[in-house]
Amino acid sequence: MTTATRMRCPRCGAEMNHHANKVDYSAGAADPSAVDPDFHGVLQQVHQCPNCGNIEMRRAPESAG
Amino acid sequence: MNEARLLSIPVILGTPRQGRLSEHVARVMLEQLGKRAAVQTALVDVRTLRLPSTDAGEAIKDPQFSEMVMHADGLIIVAPEYNHGYPGILKHALDTNLKEYIHKPVGLCGVSAGGFGGTRVVESLVPVMRELGLVTIFWDLNVSAAGKAFDASGQLLDMALPRRADKMIDELLWMARVLRYGRENIPAD
Repeated sequence: MTTATRMRCPRCGAEMNHHANKVDYSAGAADPSAVDPDFHGVLQQVHQCPNCGNIEMRRAPESAG
Repeated sequence: MNEARLLSIPVILGTPRQGRLSEHVARVMLEQLGKRAAVQTALVDVRTLRLPSTDAGEAIKDPQFSEMVMHADGLIIVAPEYNHGYPGILKHALDTNLKEYIHKPVGLCGVSAGGFGGTRVVESLVPVMRELGLVTIFWDLNVSAAGKAFDASGQLLDMALPRRADKMIDELLWMARVLRYGRENIPAD
């Protein structure tokens, strides 16, 4: 994970840590085009803010969906 | 690692039924957690969550519940065993979050009227925890013959229960500290 792709916390502005990737099967219902055919769901990144504890999930840029 | 911050460990009481003995077990867990200087805790009672049954998952999030889980460093789930499974409303509640759980430890307490201490509800919850991104610890709390562990007023009769709860809490807190450090500092790739 390079610093160039690090996420800023939308609540406090601190730099978040991308600590996990998760296939989100339910997210595909809302946006079928986001489904990555290799994983049969939406490939998401999970980010935690070390400052305020906020957690954000965003679609992985490498997702083929 | 910032050890000064309190660890937040909510206890989820997984049944809304009247006369639920699991409520007494959840109270024991809260009391034992309350004795730890580095821990803050609170009860999440599925009876009080406003979750419609006409939809499911993140579409019906309870904002307070989700916010509490987001700021939790670990969870304890107290679940009775109903017909060898978990209460449907517990699953309905757990399914409303996802990102809030990932890389957080969970301790499972099984409660049963019979002699197997809710082992089947614990085992049936393990794959659910795994898919939600929670990390199950290897200590469970099994409460057999729950009707005999407490008197009619809910007073604890099984004095071994707090000690057994403490051992589970020791492991959960260790995992909570380690995984908090990991979530905040160790990149995924």
